Amino acid sequence: METAACKMTLQEKLNILADAAKYDVACTSSGSSRRGKKGYLGNAVSSGICHSFSSDGRCISLLKILFTNECIFDCKYCLNRSSNDQPRATFTPEEVCTLVTEFYRRNYIEGLFLSSGIMKSPTYTMEQMYQAVYLLRTKYKFNGYIHVKAIPGAPEELIARMGYLADRMSVNIELPTTEGLSKLAPHKKPENLVKPLRQIQDGITSHRLAIGKDPQMERSNSSKYLPHTIFRENPYRRLPSGSDPVSVHLPASARCQAHFVPAGQSTQMIIGATGENDLQLLSTTQKLYQMYDLKRVFFSAYVPLNEDALLPAIGTAPPLLREHRLYQADWLLRYYGFHAEELLSPERPNFNILLDPKCDWALRHLEYFPVEINRASYADLLRVPGIGTKSAGRIVKSRRGGLLDFQHLKKIGVVLKRAKYFITCNGKMMHRIPIKEDFITRQLIRTDSKKNWEIEHPQTYRQLSLFDDFHFQSEITMEDSHKSILGQL
Amino acid sequence: MTTIFTCKDQFDDMMTCIYDAWASRLGHSNIRLKAEPVGNLELFCEYRHVDSDPEKTASVIRSIQKKISPYAYSMIYKAAMSDQEDKLDAIYRFVVAGFHYGASVTDYLQEPVVMRIFELSRKVANEAHYHREFIRFANMEHRILVSHIEPKANVLTLVAPHFADRLPSENWMIIDDTRNLAIVHPADCDYYLTDLSQKEMDRLSQKTNDPFVELWKGFFENIGIKERRNPKCQRNMLPLWYRKHMPEFH
Repeated sequence: METAACKMTLQEKLNILADAAKYDVACTSSGSSRRGKKGYLGNAVSSGICHSFSSDGRCISLLKILFTNECIFDCKYCLNRSSNDQPRATFTPEEVCTLVTEFYRRNYIEGLFLSSGIMKSPTYTMEQMYQAVYLLRTKYKFNGYIHVKAIPGAPEELIARMGYLADRMSVNIELPTTEGLSKLAPHKKPENLVKPLRQIQDGITSHRLAIGKDPQMERSNSSKYLPHTIFRENPYRRLPSGSDPVSVHLPASARCQAHFVPAGQSTQMIIGATGENDLQLLSTTQKLYQMYDLKRVFFSAYVPLNEDALLPAIGTAPPLLREHRLYQADWLLRYYGFHAEELLSPERPNFNILLDPKCDWALRHLEYFPVEINRASYADLLRVPGIGTKSAGRIVKSRRGGLLDFQHLKKIGVVLKRAKYFITCNGKMMHRIPIKEDFITRQLIRTDSKKNWEIEHPQTYRQLSLFDDFHFQSEITMEDSHKSILGQL
Repeated sequence: MTTIFTCKDQFDDMMTCIYDAWASRLGHSNIRLKAEPVGNLELFCEYRHVDSDPEKTASVIRSIQKKISPYAYSMIYKAAMSDQEDKLDAIYRFVVAGFHYGASVTDYLQEPVVMRIFELSRKVANEAHYHREFIRFANMEHRILVSHIEPKANVLTLVAPHFADRLPSENWMIIDDTRNLAIVHPADCDYYLTDLSQKEMDRLSQKTNDPFVELWKGFFENIGIKERRNPKCQRNMLPLWYRKHMPEFH
């Protein structure tokens, strides 16, 4: 086994370990802003940069790889579980560094996303990963973005040291409930998952206090105009922060040089593997934001890979529309000042398949509408379907210079096909629209039905042909189509 | 009769053109501005070509920054890099409005002249951002990084500061194939903009044999989830015309 691993080329290793990492969703490079330095390679841009988009339409921002897939754990949902017969590979720290720096120079990637299966023990794995990242930052002088998974069960000191090198760290919660976790991932203990989350949060908070910032992470710029966000009304807050976060500016000499996880931490949950409903998922998400001050919670629609009685059968389509709805709701929590309890209730625990969460909310609260564009507050504007943070900001700024009309709104970027049922300009609606729930519902469902169908069925249409067997599993490649033209099939 | 002021499609020339058009005292409604090439000539118009003058250029830039705002200046600069025909006239109308309203003019999107500049600069800024994402460097001899792009707007000067900050100690250049322009950045020095001759262009477009290109292609293939294949979403995020110089799509 050892000799086989040595003979493997870098290309083979990269293919195996990229393939093994592809189910991790968090490929963002945002949240860190750092200038370049002479002699070093790279910088970090706060908005993050996507460098390519893979065949599934997801962004490729970071070199997303596992350090190894020789995992000793046997989680039921995972492709790399120890009981699967998979090609296995392990990088050396040097190999990881060369790949990152050479890809980065060619502008292929924004940095490194390093996760790993558990080889030998969590401690040993984390040591290897630390070595790779340490070399990258020191010997290879890499100044770009690094996202590292904290391995649950690794010693605190290693995680703390890693925090000074990485931009973002994350621990995967995997499943929103403890029952689900004990059923599907028997080796992972809930308290082991929470411990590093808490530790990293404490590290970030103390570092932020030391450099004179508010203990809470910054949220989107516009959210300071919203009075009731989940971050302000936070029952789990441990340190008081001012209602208006004020940063104290320390002289450069007093600031400590090494930053601790400046881009914050994130986590990921699998959806559709166990029987949770959307309310449970969204409440867990909100709780995670409030308790651990996470920057992001990611959702990953479960793709069945393993045969198991506890899991959906292989070939079940991943619940893409459900994942989409959860992300929409996640944005409503972070940018629009909604709370999970407003969007879903125990009576209606799941999202409407036909309507996005904001439309759904608006239709159940028609008493707030119509909203007058020229007078409504920023927070009220944000609650209108079809108005986002950008267009709401533009409306608030531009109406100081004169009244706005529907033509202006269209140019400003408001999606009128949704918004027109909920707004007035100078006291008038766009058309004569009855504000009745069933009428507006019918209209909105018609607008969105095609889009929803496309999200759920991303790869459907195919030319009907006499010769194709439609139960054929293999994909049609370029060569096949050449052959069919040349008559070689 | 309308007087049309024309100038070369370069930022300095455009600023001088605005100066001369303003100083002509013909009245804002009696003049138009246009960047060359002029294309079809119109009847009953007088055409006046304007050459760049560093003093006039500096004076226009100074007044925009002072009387309107530095943010308005950055919008004007981006709009001037656009490939749209009406850009110079749009900039002129915006400057007129800007001198009237002051710094807050950039917020008043209900004014058609402000909206037009906003649209132009947003389009150029978006394209520049796409190129920051999708520029690919090829590793030539002596570890020199060379990239070819064919942008619609003239984005070279907008992407260069980003790469200068990112790769300060590398030798790199970004070549605009349609305009035969290049940004050249020697390691640990400032970058500069230069014209390229056809011979230089040919030499710099040679194919290289780079093992990391193959590694990258392998990574790109393997990172996509087959069960979620979605080429339409991929095209939305990464339009086909950007892919010409991206190795993972060839």
